[in-house]
Amino acid sequence: MKLSDHYNKASIITTISVLLAGGVIYFFAITFISKVQLDRDLTEEIDEVKEYINGNNRLPTQVEFDEDVTTFIKTDQTAFKRRYFDTVYVNPKEKKQEEGRAVEDLIFFGGQHYKVMVTESREATEYLVQIIALITLVLMIGLLVTLFLTNRYLLRGLWKPFYNILSELKAFNISEPSDFNLQDNKVDEFAELNQAVQIMSERIKNDFQHLKHLTENASHEMMTPLAVITAKLDTLIQDESLNPAHYDLINDIYLAAGKLLRLNQTMLLLVKIENKLIEGNEVLRLDNLIREKLIHFQELLNTKHITVTEKLIEKEFFASKYLVDILLNNLFSNAIRHNTPNGQQYITLTPGKLIIRNTGALKALDAGTIFDRFQKGSQSEGTGLGLTIVKNICNLYNWQVSYYFDQSLHTFEIVF
Amino acid sequence: MKFLIIEDEAGLRQNIADYLNDDGNICECCDSLKCAITKLSDYVYDCVLLDIGLPDGEGFAVLDFLRNNLRNESVLIISAKGSLDDKIKALNIGADDYLTKPFHLAELKARVEAVYRRKTFSSNNTIIFNEISVDLNGRSVEVNGNNVTLTRKEFDMLLYFIANKGKVISKNAIAEHLWGDEMDVHDHYDFIYTHIKNLRKKLMDANCNDYIKSLYGIGYKFKA
Repeated sequence: MKLSDHYNKASIITTISVLLAGGVIYFFAITFISKVQLDRDLTEEIDEVKEYINGNNRLPTQVEFDEDVTTFIKTDQTAFKRRYFDTVYVNPKEKKQEEGRAVEDLIFFGGQHYKVMVTESREATEYLVQIIALITLVLMIGLLVTLFLTNRYLLRGLWKPFYNILSELKAFNISEPSDFNLQDNKVDEFAELNQAVQIMSERIKNDFQHLKHLTENASHEMMTPLAVITAKLDTLIQDESLNPAHYDLINDIYLAAGKLLRLNQTMLLLVKIENKLIEGNEVLRLDNLIREKLIHFQELLNTKHITVTEKLIEKEFFASKYLVDILLNNLFSNAIRHNTPNGQQYITLTPGKLIIRNTGALKALDAGTIFDRFQKGSQSEGTGLGLTIVKNICNLYNWQVSYYFDQSLHTFEIVF
Repeated sequence: MKFLIIEDEAGLRQNIADYLNDDGNICECCDSLKCAITKLSDYVYDCVLLDIGLPDGEGFAVLDFLRNNLRNESVLIISAKGSLDDKIKALNIGADDYLTKPFHLAELKARVEAVYRRKTFSSNNTIIFNEISVDLNGRSVEVNGNNVTLTRKEFDMLLYFIANKGKVISKNAIAEHLWGDEMDVHDHYDFIYTHIKNLRKKLMDANCNDYIKSLYGIGYKFKA
């Protein structure tokens, strides 16, 4: 639900309840006031009746009272408290039943007590109440329509800067140097928001730059000692006085240094991919890249007597050659390393999928954790990051990568 | 050949110089940008090995200096910064090759020779080692005038050996040269053995002397 809808809802509910309450209060107030007014009129009528009787020494006839109806009933009661009440009577002028207000009192005339009752029409009051209810209703509808229209057009316009900021934020790319394209705003809140977003993005970009520099510096700092180790070892093995036992030791150091180097490179690559620091996308022919890779790995495949069956269609796509190279390297070298001698490798490229299957250990790997960092088989001498890189590269380009074990084949599938 | 090595890491600098000197080359060393510019102003070199991250500035300044003075030195960048941007930048402003640290000295030697060769003998691109003659343009090998058919990897390996003749080359260095360092190659040593066996057999079948000596466990040496 949008904010304007929320606002709409709240404002409509409050307006309607206020109007309803107002209407109810109006109704009661007007009923009460008109009652008081009617009662006052009736009191005057009674007084007039009394004056008439005193002045004319006879009971007045109906004609002299206009729309009011006055009746005199002889009574034996000697004491009677004046009372006002609502009643229904027949209006003599209009000849129809009407709601009325009546007053009863006792008068004494010619040695006889009479109960006098004056009834007055309440129609005018009823009419007033109806008018007021109608006005309230019209007001309510008018208000609703106005509110709806304001919310729809005016508020939407008011919120436009907000949606501008939002779309800019959505398009925000930390590795792009370009700044926000924010419009100046006269509304204080939005101007402030603009400013805050600007400051925040600058800070994030600064931090990001620092991180990038830290990454590069870390790389530099770690690569230099590694370079020294490698150079020293390369120099050391030139020494002719070394014996095979020494060579074994040196070889182990080479292996460890090599592993450290690959780990370092891989970690840096992961950071770069995760931060989208890799640029230089171009149109690539995936089928050709795969063929090149197969030539590159030809000797390794031959030595292990692995048969490769390829089924490639022409496929062009847009990506970084550097990353696709690494992706294929990792998948192919896995498919070779974990293959059995005289094994099989199948590569299938369809318009939407790349499937690499290979024979190997007759046991499925855990598809849930296989792409996690440092997940590797106990026999594997790799860094444990190869498939993590594959996964991250796929994520970068929104490809789906999955593993399954099917018909004794380890299968990696990338859906573009 | 006369080299200028511009590298601030003392241990590395000395090892590079020693490795290259063995071949009768002359190496001079620098540990800063200032020293490098001074030396380059005074002397002419065949090849400059240049580290980008120097204590008093970026090595790109050396490239600018050489370009502005229309100098002819080949430049091989040796840098810990392996980012594509840096490589492209360096190659654009006149470097001949880019080697990312860490590297094997054998790889450095092979690259230096290749760069130097490209710059000096562009027309007649043949390397001769005793009875072996390698034609770089045609990528073919002759032994005593008879053609020997080598696979691509065997050809690369032979070139690598010749560039590092007389040196012990570790299996690591060979694997990295042939398959690149982005790949896990540590379990590819058996393949190297097979390759070298094949190469040796092909050369010896063509009546070539057996120059490739195996050093148990560590690597190989190509020696006359």
